[in-house]
Amino acid sequence: MSQEPPQLNGMKATDITSFFVLGHTQEGLTRIDANGKPSPGVARSWELSDHGAVFHLRNEARWSDGQPITARDFVYAWRTVLQPRTASSFAFLLFPVRNAQAISEGKLDASKLGVSAPDDHTLKVEFERPCAYFLGLTSAAITYPIREDIHRRFGDKYGADANQMIFSGPFLLSSWIHGASLKMTRNPHYWNRAAIRLDAIEVPAITPDTNAKFNFFKDRKVDLIDTLGRDDLLKATQQGYKLRPFADGSVLFLAFNFRAGRATRNLNLRKALAAVFDPSEYVQRVVTIPGTQPGLGLVPRWMQGHRARFRDEHRLEPRRPDFAAAKRYLEAARRELGGRIPPLTWLTGDTAQGAREAEYFQQAFRRHLGITLHIDKQIFKQRLAKMNQGRFDIASSVWGPDYNDPLTFVELATAWNAANRGQYRNAEVDQKVRAAQVTADPARRLELLAQAEAIALDELAFLPTHERTVMWMTQPWLKNVIRHPIGPDPDLTQASIVSTGGRGP
Amino acid sequence: MADALIPMPHEDFAPLSRQTLAPRAQRPSLSYWQDAWIRLRRNRQAWASLWILFALLLFTVAGPWLWTLDPSEQTLSRVSEPPSWHKEALVLPPPAPYREELRSGWPEAPATAVDPQTLAAPANFAFIEAPSIQGVRLRWDPVPGASGYLVYRVPERQPADSSALGIPVGEIQGGNHVSFEDTFNLKAGTYWYSVVARNGDESPRFSGLRAELVDGIPLESARQESASAQPGQRVRLQSHPLGTDSLGRDLLARLIRGARVSLFIGLLAPFLAGALGILVGGLAGYHGGRVDQLLMRFTDFVMALPFLLFMILIQVACGMEAGDSGIPVMLLALVALSWTSMARLVRGQVLQLRQADYVQAARLLGARPMTLLLRHLLPNTLGVVLVSLTFAIPQAIFTEAFLSFIGLGVVPPTPSWGSLCNDGIQTFLTSPHEFVFPALLISLTVLAFNLLGDGLRDALDPRLRSHP
Repeated sequence: MSQEPPQLNGMKATDITSFFVLGHTQEGLTRIDANGKPSPGVARSWELSDHGAVFHLRNEARWSDGQPITARDFVYAWRTVLQPRTASSFAFLLFPVRNAQAISEGKLDASKLGVSAPDDHTLKVEFERPCAYFLGLTSAAITYPIREDIHRRFGDKYGADANQMIFSGPFLLSSWIHGASLKMTRNPHYWNRAAIRLDAIEVPAITPDTNAKFNFFKDRKVDLIDTLGRDDLLKATQQGYKLRPFADGSVLFLAFNFRAGRATRNLNLRKALAAVFDPSEYVQRVVTIPGTQPGLGLVPRWMQGHRARFRDEHRLEPRRPDFAAAKRYLEAARRELGGRIPPLTWLTGDTAQGAREAEYFQQAFRRHLGITLHIDKQIFKQRLAKMNQGRFDIASSVWGPDYNDPLTFVELATAWNAANRGQYRNAEVDQKVRAAQVTADPARRLELLAQAEAIALDELAFLPTHERTVMWMTQPWLKNVIRHPIGPDPDLTQASIVSTGGRGP
Repeated sequence: MADALIPMPHEDFAPLSRQTLAPRAQRPSLSYWQDAWIRLRRNRQAWASLWILFALLLFTVAGPWLWTLDPSEQTLSRVSEPPSWHKEALVLPPPAPYREELRSGWPEAPATAVDPQTLAAPANFAFIEAPSIQGVRLRWDPVPGASGYLVYRVPERQPADSSALGIPVGEIQGGNHVSFEDTFNLKAGTYWYSVVARNGDESPRFSGLRAELVDGIPLESARQESASAQPGQRVRLQSHPLGTDSLGRDLLARLIRGARVSLFIGLLAPFLAGALGILVGGLAGYHGGRVDQLLMRFTDFVMALPFLLFMILIQVACGMEAGDSGIPVMLLALVALSWTSMARLVRGQVLQLRQADYVQAARLLGARPMTLLLRHLLPNTLGVVLVSLTFAIPQAIFTEAFLSFIGLGVVPPTPSWGSLCNDGIQTFLTSPHEFVFPALLISLTVLAFNLLGDGLRDALDPRLRSHP
């Protein structure tokens, strides 16, 4: 694991590390299975319609203290998530539920949310509008149940430590030494405990140092490395390890800051910056993980559209550097900004690769535009805080899908998405995405989304840099590890250790 | 006793007339410093170190004039290159657009479940066109029962079995997709490509192909070096005598630029700290008593402060923003924390010298405290001070390297030896030169200063004087 989860309250989690831990220690109504489809979780069955959904919860579902998981735990969780004072970045995911948006804006009381528990084992959801992908949401961290008594006892501290939370998933967090290590052990009260074959999942070290991780693997201290550094690939193959590529579905992009007083508000400046960027050179020479695709749009190439891939139905021209145009944009920007372009701040993570990528852009901007770039390397928690406070000009960002629909990416550009960290605002984009949300005709709906995406890209709300592929490897005795773009990744709930004469778990 | 007056004639008080003494046979007198110099020259290690340090100074000061490459200029077509001199490369024409080969009429996936263990190796594995470092284009015949393919590549060695195929460079979905273009970070040399059919899992059978890539340079990059470059020509590339780093920057230029930072900190910090230490130690030693107690307890307190924590605290207190260089802060922290040993040393010396007869004599003659301190006490501590200074310099250089290594020092793109080491260690196993050269320079400098310090200590020790 590279980063420490900032906290483990599912309502506030926004990052893959938290999702990985939460995905193993909590369970929503459904789980994503090996094929990326929702499968029964706490809910044993369900009925979906255009107006709402009914979930039937299993009688045997238990919290890690043995108490049953009831529909009321879901009602409490969803209401709490949407309250403005929870300030959940992902609350917008629940907006398909009736009155959810009004509640999150403070216009309605949380009790008016279109979700109810007629009895302990039935959860009724009313929709604000038809929502084709709703089932996909019910495995997201934001929809996990929360026990009212526990949550009230710890308040803001809920999820800050292993003993300040309670677990509904196959594993429970048995130890969490901040910044150092994590351990998850099998949850004895989990309803499907018979299917879990691992006794424990240990994260012996939390470090962004890919070298250190590699050495842990070599010493057989870890059984799985989910992301290898680019410089470790050859080393790994020389040691005889079998590498596996995994396109993790994420889009990496530069988020520009649109807050008042930021030079990056200027469209011509953004255009000048984008015009000196060569995505294919960047992918082949700087990222250099085979399988990585140069950035194209907000919606990545793998995403399904109506009949074919979304990107094939709504084509975008690959970006090519144009230094002459960059000069023109720069001149225009300079005039509009009053003669001088201030140094820009680039916010990135504290990894070697993050620094290398930043230095590539730093030199490109300096050489072709004469713009100074200050690199701000921060640990994950701090980076997240700075992104939310808007203390950057350009943030190197990543977005993974929350559910299997282009909306999960296009919604990044809308005013109501808290993950729109640069606070890009465009009424037309908002209006088109809203229109898409209430459109039943799938072709028309995707068309609207494509239009919204095109506007945001034309205005350079974001500059997509690449679509990620990671290289990963396991020890030969660890089997059935699932990697999927949506849901907790890597997924170890079905993993097992087979005896090969080597070290056991 | 007025009658017992001793007569004092005026002449008795007249100055003596100048007189020349008879010449005496004597060898030329050697001052302390002259003697020390002679003894230093006789110490081979110290003398060699002095030359090394002189060369280093030249490297730092004259380097930028002799080697004029921009240390932050990136040549992405030449990343992580080993040292080279006057290398030539073929100018490559712009590649034709690549089109994926689709076998029409072939199913994307088999209709029935297939055991991947039984899948055959793809036949007719071949290059679509001559491979070059701009891209290697491969094709093969579809395999019945495959739902996709994996293309691997490994440099140099031919894979012996399916576990040694190397890095999976291509993951192809669909049994009817039968071509692939590899463009990822290709370098001149030999690569072995393999293709494996798969359906869920991989087949253990593979087809292999050897690609011999000659050094080439894309037309666009060639035009940047010489405007008239034509495809097919050979052009001489920019030399990189120490190779390039992972962004294609010249390592020699970066080392020269980095030396400036390392030596700036390495020399300035000990001198400032030394001055402060001499002042505090001198005052404490000279005054003694309460003043001494106060100053020395304060020194003990400063000594107890943990350096790294203090450094970070100063950074926070200075309101460091992204992009601000950590150098001034580092200097401040180094000076603020490393004067203590010098103060102790000087205090001890001064305490001892204060009792010396010549100091007492000067005091009786009415010398003012400042004169005493500056004329008699401090010059006589100079030997110890100098030795301690020579040992403090490598320590400061090392601290700078260490802080830049962990990212508290210079900000990119400014290099320092420490940050170069940090960059280099990432690629240590694949391109060791990126780490070895900066590490070598640090080690050499630190060693030279230490040996010189040793030599100085021996040379300045009055007990070892060669001419009593």
